[in-house]
Amino acid sequence: MTDARDIATEVGMLAPEGTHDPGLPPAGIRRAPEGVDGLTTEHLIINMGPQHPSTHGVLRMIVEMDGEEIVSAEASIGYLHRGIEKLAEHRRYNALGTLMDRGDYVSGIHGELASALAVEKLMEIEIPRKADYLRVLLSEINRIASHLVWFGTFGLDTGAMGQFLYAMRDREFLVDILESITGSRMMFNYVRPGGVLADLPVGMDAQIREFSDGFDAYLQEHHELLGGNEIFQHRVKGIGTIDRDSALAFGLSGANLRGSGVAFDVRRDRAYSAYDDMEFDVPVGSTGDAWDRYMVRMEEMRQSNRMIRQCLDGMPEGGFTAKVPKVLRPPAGEVYAAVESSRGETGIHLVSQGGDTPYRFHYKAPSLAVLQALEEILPGHLLADVVMIIGSTDIMLGEIDR
Amino acid sequence: MLPDATVVKHILAEAGLADTDVQETTLGLVCTVAPAEVAPAFAALKDSELDFVMLVDLMGTDTGEDIELSYHLRSFTRDEELHVKCTVAYDAEIASVWNAYPSALMPERETAELLGLTLSGHPNPKRLLTVDGVEPLLRKSSLIRTLQEVRER
Repeated sequence: MTDARDIATEVGMLAPEGTHDPGLPPAGIRRAPEGVDGLTTEHLIINMGPQHPSTHGVLRMIVEMDGEEIVSAEASIGYLHRGIEKLAEHRRYNALGTLMDRGDYVSGIHGELASALAVEKLMEIEIPRKADYLRVLLSEINRIASHLVWFGTFGLDTGAMGQFLYAMRDREFLVDILESITGSRMMFNYVRPGGVLADLPVGMDAQIREFSDGFDAYLQEHHELLGGNEIFQHRVKGIGTIDRDSALAFGLSGANLRGSGVAFDVRRDRAYSAYDDMEFDVPVGSTGDAWDRYMVRMEEMRQSNRMIRQCLDGMPEGGFTAKVPKVLRPPAGEVYAAVESSRGETGIHLVSQGGDTPYRFHYKAPSLAVLQALEEILPGHLLADVVMIIGSTDIMLGEIDR
Repeated sequence: MLPDATVVKHILAEAGLADTDVQETTLGLVCTVAPAEVAPAFAALKDSELDFVMLVDLMGTDTGEDIELSYHLRSFTRDEELHVKCTVAYDAEIASVWNAYPSALMPERETAELLGLTLSGHPNPKRLLTVDGVEPLLRKSSLIRTLQEVRER
């Protein structure tokens, strides 16, 4: 029987007996980089994803570790690339909403709205006030539904479970409302150039009010359950800090930008639809860490609920769509229209050369800016914080890859 | 919301870019420069009193003859927006603007990949969305249907 030691010596793992100098690593073992106090340290490349429960879609992060600490991080994306921008060049203007639904698929209304606003801006269509109100109403319902998904999964990232079930309970109520109004739970195709698909069904007003009346209390409960948890606070406070200048330099928008202390909200500063009629506050963070982003989003849900009530109370009479031709043919020109989606500024840069399809349809995705900022802020954090920092920024891979 | 065209012209002239074309279009205020002038123009606009601190986005369009790059700048102190455009030839090499605006890092990679351009001065000029060998998808010459199918649609 062969001795294990002999085999090890033979394949070069061990130096032959008597030849090994104890001050040197054994022959055949790769010499590690010089470490502190003779400890060997070696950088380790860890691959996270693309299939990983905490990457919120199909994101692959390649992180280089020095022990538990991140030295560099690189995002590898494209796993959800469907070529939405190219496909849009082959769709009529009415059908662009269906593509946008599949971009940011958790808050589809905002994408549809951005594309509809761009077409209306180019064609100079006046839409009825009621359509504006319905758009805002649906946007805010969708924003709460989307933020609840973020809230639930952000807690999961930190290791908590209960809040996810409660968040999904409330979201289910909202998704049912959206389904009753639009006919679909996520892929709505409700906002069309010229107005919206349909009026609120009978009894919907009462159903939304029922949700709205209870939601502020539920939200407080959610916050106490997760944000009031000391373990959660210890894990999110002070990590993933994006200072004001970096946030601006990396082009962040939405809650991520406001968490870093820049009070810019497309709804307020570039008011579209009926937002000029709405009364709402724009919450702003101070340090730009994960906790600030958490607090900004929680407050945003409260403000959205405020706006839902204002929409229902102020809902004008009249039609819900303008008279527009079946086939839209905007004049040649170029416009940029943006909305405040759940993740930030979703913009559509539309180039038309006449004709019934866009010449160029560019989808400005807010999450893409976050992803490049992540590569910058992750180094220096611990491996365990990666999923939490990603979770705190609420990125959506569907719109990053497009 | 729109910056004063004469102020923009003046700032660019001080940076050595005389007679820049600044026009108000449906897009907003659009300033057209040569590809080599993009970097000095951005440096000047960023440090000027207009304070364009953010590059919101950039994109490229295949116009049929060349590729038009469009940059979207925003100033928060003055709440103004400006679009900067330049035209480059097919397969041209474009200089990265990430030194002035790090937010250009990924959109530039995407634009270069989908329109068949080469990046210079970029820290990580790899492809972003697709794998090697995929043709530049956003070129008009790249078809998702055959011409026959497009006509019969």
